[in-house]
Amino acid sequence: MAASQARTKRWTRLEYERLIDLGAFGPEERLELLAGQLVVREPQGRRHSTGIRLVAGTLRAAFGPDWNVEAQLPVALDEESEPEPDVAVVPGGPRDYLASHPTRPALVVEVALTSLALDRGEKASIYARAGVADYWIVNLVDNLLEVYRESQADPDAPYGWRYGSTTTLRRGDVVTPVALPHWSIPVSDLLL
Amino acid sequence: MRMTMSSVRTKHWTRVEYERLVDLGAFRPGERLELVGGAVIVREPQGSPHATAVGLAEDALREAFGAGWTVRTQSPIALDEDSEPEPDIAVVPGNRRDYRRDHPSHPVLIVEVADSTLLLDQREKASLYARARIADYWIVNLIDNVLELYRDPVADPEAPYAWRYGSTAILHADSVVAPLALSHSPVPVSDLLP
Repeated sequence: MAASQARTKRWTRLEYERLIDLGAFGPEERLELLAGQLVVREPQGRRHSTGIRLVAGTLRAAFGPDWNVEAQLPVALDEESEPEPDVAVVPGGPRDYLASHPTRPALVVEVALTSLALDRGEKASIYARAGVADYWIVNLVDNLLEVYRESQADPDAPYGWRYGSTTTLRRGDVVTPVALPHWSIPVSDLLL
Repeated sequence: MRMTMSSVRTKHWTRVEYERLVDLGAFRPGERLELVGGAVIVREPQGSPHATAVGLAEDALREAFGAGWTVRTQSPIALDEDSEPEPDIAVVPGNRRDYRRDHPSHPVLIVEVADSTLLLDQREKASLYARARIADYWIVNLIDNVLELYRDPVADPEAPYAWRYGSTAILHADSVVAPLALSHSPVPVSDLLP
């Protein structure tokens, strides 16, 4: 139980990466650093895993060999965040990030079942703050795709930023990634 | 801006993990932290009234307890499986070298000096110490200039850590206080107030 009056330690990304290098976490621990907090990732069920496979496969086919389509790998997002988005698309080849994690994904996708409130709230605000231009939520609760774009400052948002444009797409619609303006992806390819 | 996230579970550290972090040098020099119920908490910087009161309590308790006891200030206590607080004062049996290898785990008296941290010390910390069955917990309350005494830990599912103190007393500058472990050596409350 958290102490309401107390300020918990906010970890920087460098401290977090050092903890990982020092072996501070157990092999079974699934964590990500979100705005200084070490957040425990919930265990995922078959629907969530299948959603990730569908999105990764579809985006790999769309983006081709000049991009890495990564499933649940760390992104060095900002000074105090190192999330592991369900899918992130980053430029270049697999060896380009040997020295440091990618920092600027062209597209981030979260597959949301139990995590919908977090993905729409805190995570959207953190991605907007970091200037991620294209953020999608595959909403498995309502079986649709939510597309978030145009990050803007908003003091009322959890981390001071939010996305100014939100579009909801359904089966039968197509979606065009910001980084691939000439490509259309059927939304049905991303849903279960 | 929100400092903690409502819809997520943050990492719960055990005391063993936390001590390993300390040994590995994971924290910056000068960072004042403590482990409270699995959360790594930042201790607020202290002003001069707070520092003065800690010194006063240290002097008064060292004199009252005498040989055979150690009065530690702002040092770690291996309180339970997921807590390693650094109370302003902890009185433990034995001498300093007895705790060379392991932090003490059962102080006979814990004192917190409270100004900005009063609510935290009265609620979360009190519940945490009650859960660890600390028999004698005092708060030097700098806001109201009184000494608060907490004794008789009892289970209470409503409390932050499911325990609280069943008996509370407020003592003013004109009273004396006798530590539970030392009933024959009363300390003037005025010695503890800045």
